[in-house]
Amino acid sequence: MKKTLALLLAAVMLLSLSAVSLAEEKVAITMWTYPIGAWKDADTVNGIVAAFNEKYPNISVSVEYLDYQSGDDQVTGAIEAGTTPDIIMEGPERLVSNWGAKGKMVDLADLWTEEALKDISAVSEAVVAACQLDGKYYEYPLCMTTHTMAINYEAFEKADALKYLDQDTRTWTTENFELAMKALKDSGVAHTGIVYCGGQGGDQGTRALAMNLYSASFTNPEHTEYTMNSEAGIKGLQKLQDMVNEGLLTADPGIVAGDELQLFANGTANMSLAWNAANAANYASQAQFTPYAMAFPSDDGVPELAGGIWGFGIFNNNDEKRIAAAKEFIKFVSDDPVQGPKSVFATGFFPVRASFGDIYTGTEKEANKEFSVFMPYLGDYYSVTPNWPVQRTEWWNLLQRIFAGGDVKAEVETYINNVNVK
Amino acid sequence: MQYTLTQQARQRRRRENLVGYAFMLPSLLFFLGFVIFPMGMALVTSFTDYSMTTFGFVGLSNYIRAFKDAVFIKSLGNTLVIVLVSVPLVTLFSLWVASAVYKSSQFTSSLIRIIFYLPIVTGTVAVTVVWKWMFNNYYGLLNYVFKSLGIISSNINWLGNPATALWCIITILFTTSIGQPIVLYISALANVDPSLVEAGEVDGANHMQVFWKIKWPQIMPTTLYILVITTINSFQCFALIQLLTSGGPNNATNTIMYNIYYHAYKLNEYGYGNAMGILLALLIAIFSFFQFRLAKSDNE
Repeated sequence: MKKTLALLLAAVMLLSLSAVSLAEEKVAITMWTYPIGAWKDADTVNGIVAAFNEKYPNISVSVEYLDYQSGDDQVTGAIEAGTTPDIIMEGPERLVSNWGAKGKMVDLADLWTEEALKDISAVSEAVVAACQLDGKYYEYPLCMTTHTMAINYEAFEKADALKYLDQDTRTWTTENFELAMKALKDSGVAHTGIVYCGGQGGDQGTRALAMNLYSASFTNPEHTEYTMNSEAGIKGLQKLQDMVNEGLLTADPGIVAGDELQLFANGTANMSLAWNAANAANYASQAQFTPYAMAFPSDDGVPELAGGIWGFGIFNNNDEKRIAAAKEFIKFVSDDPVQGPKSVFATGFFPVRASFGDIYTGTEKEANKEFSVFMPYLGDYYSVTPNWPVQRTEWWNLLQRIFAGGDVKAEVETYINNVNVK
Repeated sequence: MQYTLTQQARQRRRRENLVGYAFMLPSLLFFLGFVIFPMGMALVTSFTDYSMTTFGFVGLSNYIRAFKDAVFIKSLGNTLVIVLVSVPLVTLFSLWVASAVYKSSQFTSSLIRIIFYLPIVTGTVAVTVVWKWMFNNYYGLLNYVFKSLGIISSNINWLGNPATALWCIITILFTTSIGQPIVLYISALANVDPSLVEAGEVDGANHMQVFWKIKWPQIMPTTLYILVITTINSFQCFALIQLLTSGGPNNATNTIMYNIYYHAYKLNEYGYGNAMGILLALLIAIFSFFQFRLAKSDNE
């Protein structure tokens, strides 16, 4: 009896010891992050990791910072070499429709609890839809924003063009947009706005402009086909070509959004098509005028703005411990009632969770609240349509051909033939 | 006795060879691993539909696709223009600068070499940023200077205009390519046997005759090296295009190298990208073959 008891006791002690060692087992994970607001700054991210380590001291997180110029190439190389990070921070067009669709990501369905689903759906159903593909969640979102345009307020005031803007709703009609451009041109402005098309950087701006002019849809509602060959789509692109020909807009196949933002900030251009909260924070200090955010013009005055969604995905490295640790990190950063709002605050964008509420009032980023007025105009998140990387290149090539004098209808048909999956 | 000596000599030679190969081994492994193996892989995968999700044998489909692909044909044309313009230009300009400089004082010769070599040590990205600013449509130096001189009346969008964009790329490529050939030509010209030059001059040869009949044959190996290296560099022009134009406007600056990058890294079509890579390698081999033949016939 005594012997049995001793054996049992020893077994229990052994089991408890192994349980302790499992709980205390150290796991090292890696995270790659694109430059999403202050998530590009090591100080900010180190602070977030330190907060995580206070709660989870056994999970170490090393971070690598990507840029949009070469980040995709680095990830492609890592996928082929089998050296992908555990966590990656970006949007659904990469995490879901690219790497997720190619079977490289882990299904994060367990992070999407009933509570999370309800909280995120309360802000936008489009966010929930964008994070999944074929019933699997490849992204857990943290923040969102709408991409807008911006005007040089003083230049518009001087040209007496402010009357064409609805400053309460920050919207304008296509007709008023054209009148405003005429007023600016007549006031002696050399470049009203520049329709950049030298590459894919900031292409959401030129897409939103072309779409909204006559309320076209970029894709069908099922996100299976690109539809800018609709009557409204062609009309919008034709209007852009006409406005460029009349000198009301400048087309530039030599620059991308980064260059255009610089030209806007230094006063060369009087509008930007690539504005959002993060760009406002980056360029506001350079501008010697008031950059005033506006929705894209639309024929009915009700714009449909492109949304930006950013969050986390996990690459499937076939290591359950690392996957579990990565999920803990994502949960802490995105869901924790204290850390979650701080993580969003670092991006400069808005929470996808309704429960986080207003995170900017009374802070040094109070100006970001300006962009909350655009949230009701958040449109369909179509960047998850198949062939998206091909579409991005074909789009700026289409603009280049149109602004070089190509027949709009014929060029759009070429574009549609090149981008729709046969 | 004779037999034993030969055997000993053979053994010694074998031992020496083994030692030689042992010294070569690290470089050889590196060469095999990073040059020969990837080349073999590229050749094999060029016959497949290798992508992030597929890997199946497709025969010559990728090659047939390339020749039916209007963008590939355009990029091939652009690549050939770059090579055919930049290689002779770089070679002739380098030879001209080196001929003018190699007899100068040590200080002048070094200064010239430093100036022309500077773009190489500066690095492509930094050089490209400076050129991008100079070509800027709105506040670029080039437009400012040309307008000030009355050469142009309004700004030219150098990189945004299909008529000028490729020439901008060739100009930058030229400035970054001449450094090494100038240094090599200065050395080669300084090493020309002076007694032959003096003999030619005594026999009444003029400057041109001395150059073409005496100096030119002696610097031919250097010329051949410069031709081959410049040709390869011109064929592989990529970074400038990626940083400045992304192949635009309207594919006016698209080259085979940029096309390979686009299909491999942006669209993950590794098989097709490798097929284009093999075609590029063949093209370089054909050019190099003719350059060697030309150099050989000149030497004969």
